Amino acid sequence: MASHPLPLAGNPPVEVWTASVNGKQVQTIIKNYDVLLDVLRDGIGSLGTKRGCDMGTCGCCTVLIDGKPRLSCMTLALEAKDRQVTTVEGLSDGHHLHPIQEMFAECGGSQCGFCTPGFLVTSAALLETNPTPTRQEAMDAIEGNLCRCTGYQQIVDSIMSASKILSEGIQNKPITEPASDPDPGFGG
Amino acid sequence: MKTPAFEVHMPKTLDDALETAKHLHEGGHDFDWISGGTDLIPNYKWGINPKPHVISIFGVSELKGISATRIGAMVRLQDIVESTVAHPLIVEAAGTIASVMIRRSGTLGGNLCLDTRCFWLNQSETWRKSIDYCHKCDEGTGADCRVIPNQNELCVATYQGDLAPALMCLDARIHLASHRGTRSMLLEDFFQEDGITRNVLETGEIVTHIQLPENSADFIGSYQKLRLREAWDFPEGGVAFSVGISADGTVSTINMASTGFESIPRKHIELIEALDKGPNWALEAERLGAELKRAVRPVLNTWFPPAYRKKMASVLARRAMEETSKRVTSG
Repeated sequence: MASHPLPLAGNPPVEVWTASVNGKQVQTIIKNYDVLLDVLRDGIGSLGTKRGCDMGTCGCCTVLIDGKPRLSCMTLALEAKDRQVTTVEGLSDGHHLHPIQEMFAECGGSQCGFCTPGFLVTSAALLETNPTPTRQEAMDAIEGNLCRCTGYQQIVDSIMSASKILSEGIQNKPITEPASDPDPGFGG
Repeated sequence: MKTPAFEVHMPKTLDDALETAKHLHEGGHDFDWISGGTDLIPNYKWGINPKPHVISIFGVSELKGISATRIGAMVRLQDIVESTVAHPLIVEAAGTIASVMIRRSGTLGGNLCLDTRCFWLNQSETWRKSIDYCHKCDEGTGADCRVIPNQNELCVATYQGDLAPALMCLDARIHLASHRGTRSMLLEDFFQEDGITRNVLETGEIVTHIQLPENSADFIGSYQKLRLREAWDFPEGGVAFSVGISADGTVSTINMASTGFESIPRKHIELIEALDKGPNWALEAERLGAELKRAVRPVLNTWFPPAYRKKMASVLARRAMEETSKRVTSG
């Protein structure tokens, strides 16, 4: 954008931005026109929220605003002021992963991992409102998130497995301690 | 990408919003309205005609609220999709818009006032600079139109909103407000065939809501859309078709409207006038499709070539008519 003669509105005002991010009250100074993604990453330091396409296509930047998934790259920060914002860091309680996170690890829902925060947040919101989605409902819920690695099947598997845990308390496999790498590669 | 600097104004009431607009206009400041931001913010990030001031109508409660006959401009598209009171044709068309994530931000007013799109325009600034820009966003260079060269009068960027044809088929009226007062018109009179002006909105004027006629529940219709992927993509062509069923079960009115073919969504009144409204109206699908194909004039500025989109106009019209016929039969 450097070459562009920016239509600067003089000096756009800065203001104090407050919100509850992952249950914690935060306060930071923002530029009046900042989008939520910029505030979360650069102001709050919540780096779990990823900047993907920055155009609303990929869903990597998804966060929950008052429990509803929204694209933070296209939401003005002022819109989220004084509201509850949940990023991927807020899904676990600090000691235990959210079932959807467990199942992403278990079912191979994440490969390169860049899209994963968006998928986790979107899936967690789906399971919150509909704990027993059908496969089609799960696919419809993630239509706004792009993944170039998994081919989506494992992600839908993860959602269905997490749904079982949440709705019936049934686990496919007992969750174990982090295991050693089964395929250590070079020098293993 | 860095968002270019602008100043956001967040009025809390409609009067406040219109007053802010008046104040900015009188002060000689350029501004845009923003509701969901799914169209405006990506355009700003790509440096497409950004303005120094933006008025957000996010907090204006008068623009919210949805009922069977009235939908506020600030109603989110996903709320329409999940609504139990909105007309099924509007729900169907809203459900095809972009992806569920975009629909949670995007609004009815924003979708109707969607900026026209063109593959010479909706590109990064570096890309556009490499072709010396285009007529719609010329950066002061006086650049020529890249689609139809040697004319700098008409922008032929394509209007790709999904809701307009569905609402036109329900005889919707659009209500506008500015500090000078309010006015309303049939939705088909709201749009203007120019990719730059797009519609009749004057500076400082906004869409407040859409009003459907009291008998809109008697309309049964279908919306058919052509796109590359089943999510996210804008319509490469879309056709809505509806019939109004009177109390004795006969067809009283027939409507058809299209989007994604030109700079303007169009209600095809002249094509429908020739249509037989008798019990065999559904048998005219092939003929009506062929006529729509002749009527639309797509240009080479979206993903699919114009010849294919023209051909698909007839297919979409036939599908919309057949689907409507099925729905009428099944009650």
